[in-house]
Amino acid sequence: MPKHIVRLILLIVAFGVAVVSARNFLVDKSFYEYGHYRGNAVAEIARDKPKYQGTTYCQSCHAAQFAEWSKGVHDRTDIGKVVKCEVCHGPGGGRDPQQGYINASTGPIHPDNLKLAVPTDTRALCTLCHEQMPGRPLQQAQIVIEDHAGAQQCTLCHNPHSPRMIFGSLAAPAHPGNAAAGRDKIDMCASCHGAEGISAGLPGPTLAGQNEAYLVEALKAYKAGKRSNPMMTAMAANVNDGDIENIAAYFASLKCKRTVNAADQAALARKAGASVCTNCHGANGISTDGMAPNLIGQSKDYLANALKAYASGTRSNVVMFALTKGMSDVDAEKLAAYYASSSCK
Amino acid sequence: MDEKEQFGEGQAARRSFLGCLGTAVVGGAAAVAASAMLSNETRAAAVDAPPVPAIPGYDWSKHHWAFGVDATKCIGCLRCVEACKAENEVAPDAHHFRTWVERYVYLEGEDSARVDSQADPVNIEASGSEGKYRFANRYKDAKVDKAFFVPKLCNHCTHPACVQVCPTGATFKTDDGVVVIDHTYCIGCQYCVQACPYGARFFNEALKVTEKCTWCYHRITKGLLPACVEVCPVGARIFGDRNDKQSPISEFIKNNRVEVLKPETGNAPNVFYVGIDKEVS
Repeated sequence: MPKHIVRLILLIVAFGVAVVSARNFLVDKSFYEYGHYRGNAVAEIARDKPKYQGTTYCQSCHAAQFAEWSKGVHDRTDIGKVVKCEVCHGPGGGRDPQQGYINASTGPIHPDNLKLAVPTDTRALCTLCHEQMPGRPLQQAQIVIEDHAGAQQCTLCHNPHSPRMIFGSLAAPAHPGNAAAGRDKIDMCASCHGAEGISAGLPGPTLAGQNEAYLVEALKAYKAGKRSNPMMTAMAANVNDGDIENIAAYFASLKCKRTVNAADQAALARKAGASVCTNCHGANGISTDGMAPNLIGQSKDYLANALKAYASGTRSNVVMFALTKGMSDVDAEKLAAYYASSSCK
Repeated sequence: MDEKEQFGEGQAARRSFLGCLGTAVVGGAAAVAASAMLSNETRAAAVDAPPVPAIPGYDWSKHHWAFGVDATKCIGCLRCVEACKAENEVAPDAHHFRTWVERYVYLEGEDSARVDSQADPVNIEASGSEGKYRFANRYKDAKVDKAFFVPKLCNHCTHPACVQVCPTGATFKTDDGVVVIDHTYCIGCQYCVQACPYGARFFNEALKVTEKCTWCYHRITKGLLPACVEVCPVGARIFGDRNDKQSPISEFIKNNRVEVLKPETGNAPNVFYVGIDKEVS
């Protein structure tokens, strides 16, 4: 065989062997272990440390908040709506609030050296889900925040862990009163509140058709000195608990004939700046949730004085204090005038 | 006349190089033969049970993952998008998303939908930051005929076009049904970004590799849910194992008329949708 052909063959063989051995050294040993890829990559990808830890992780330290949350509307597993801790507070692991997100495999987890954010701007946070918006399913609770809360933060009235409003103190009375028995005890009341509970021009507020639980609450507050009024403090001091329930039942049973309906009033309420009030007291002054007192039939002066009393803290109620804080007298008069416009006939 | 005079210096250098090459080739061939024998031995030992990747407490041959999206429940809160970015350390800007949410709005008198996502400048302005997301209430005063939100993510197709085109074997489908990327083998050619019919892949300029949704492979192999499913407050995202007939995804597929995006491409997606419109693709 000619010498140059032998050299050429040797060269080709040498090149082939060089390629095969180079490939053998360079390609990862696990390549083609399971397919046309590096087999070890699977376990490497699976090795990352999870950042979202789940509610059980939070519960191990924050049992009280967890219990509160698990009883509320933000944990409704039955209808598939569960707003877990980390949805609002952020991931419990692997986050450095100063430097953004840090290396997955070495990152610290709460509580070691990581403080989770407690959201402060709840107006922005809650409206991520609850802002009224085309495209949101109807079953999602949605609000127009300006109408619903004015400029207030959501947490002023709502507990974000259990946001549905339940005023325990205004729950239905444990012992329903006897209206007929109550009727015999109201001689003293009638002089200021009217025998039919309608105080047209009398010094006391209208009581006809008022929420029974609210009346019980009010009388007990006067009696215990939590609420003060020279006349009422003296009156309530001599009434026993059974009579309080009967008197409340009597006034609640009386009729305040409603002259307006809520739908007609909604636009007017917005105009008067009373949109926030309507969430509980209704646009027509009739309590929407059965917890807040009805405002229908009250005089303008009575309502304005009540607002001012809440604002100054002389009459105490967490929600009303929050809503009236910083309210000007002019605004209070305006709101009072709006609700005073619907009266019992 | 000796060779040096006849062919000059260059010829001598080539000869000596070829001589060295010959030695190297013999050595190399010996090494190849040795390692081939070695790997044959290890293969023979493991022939009883097919090998599985070394993930503690996890056997990929026992799972067949799939994902469901119930668009009738989605409220467009974008908690999934933020959770995904946090969990997977995706760049906190408005250009890189492993999962995203689209809003389709049909206005009165218009034939086609107006589509925007959280990355739309109007929505970024509403959120106030490129790393935080919220849908601006831009249609609140418009006459809307129909509107809905559609969460999107990698479809983890049964016949993924992206895997087909990868020149290095850097992206592949695992035996349990997840399409992932081996970042040490990715050369950043972005051919897969072009190949994906769903726009589910993007280029990570910092690492010079392509990135995509992995269904949080590091979570599901530990018995957790993907981060987006974990945080969804309304149950619009469903995840589970199709091998388990009681799993949420098996129930979802059984109880709903599900559909997939762009079935005509032949990729055979494994993300199943309910409540979307013909215009969604």
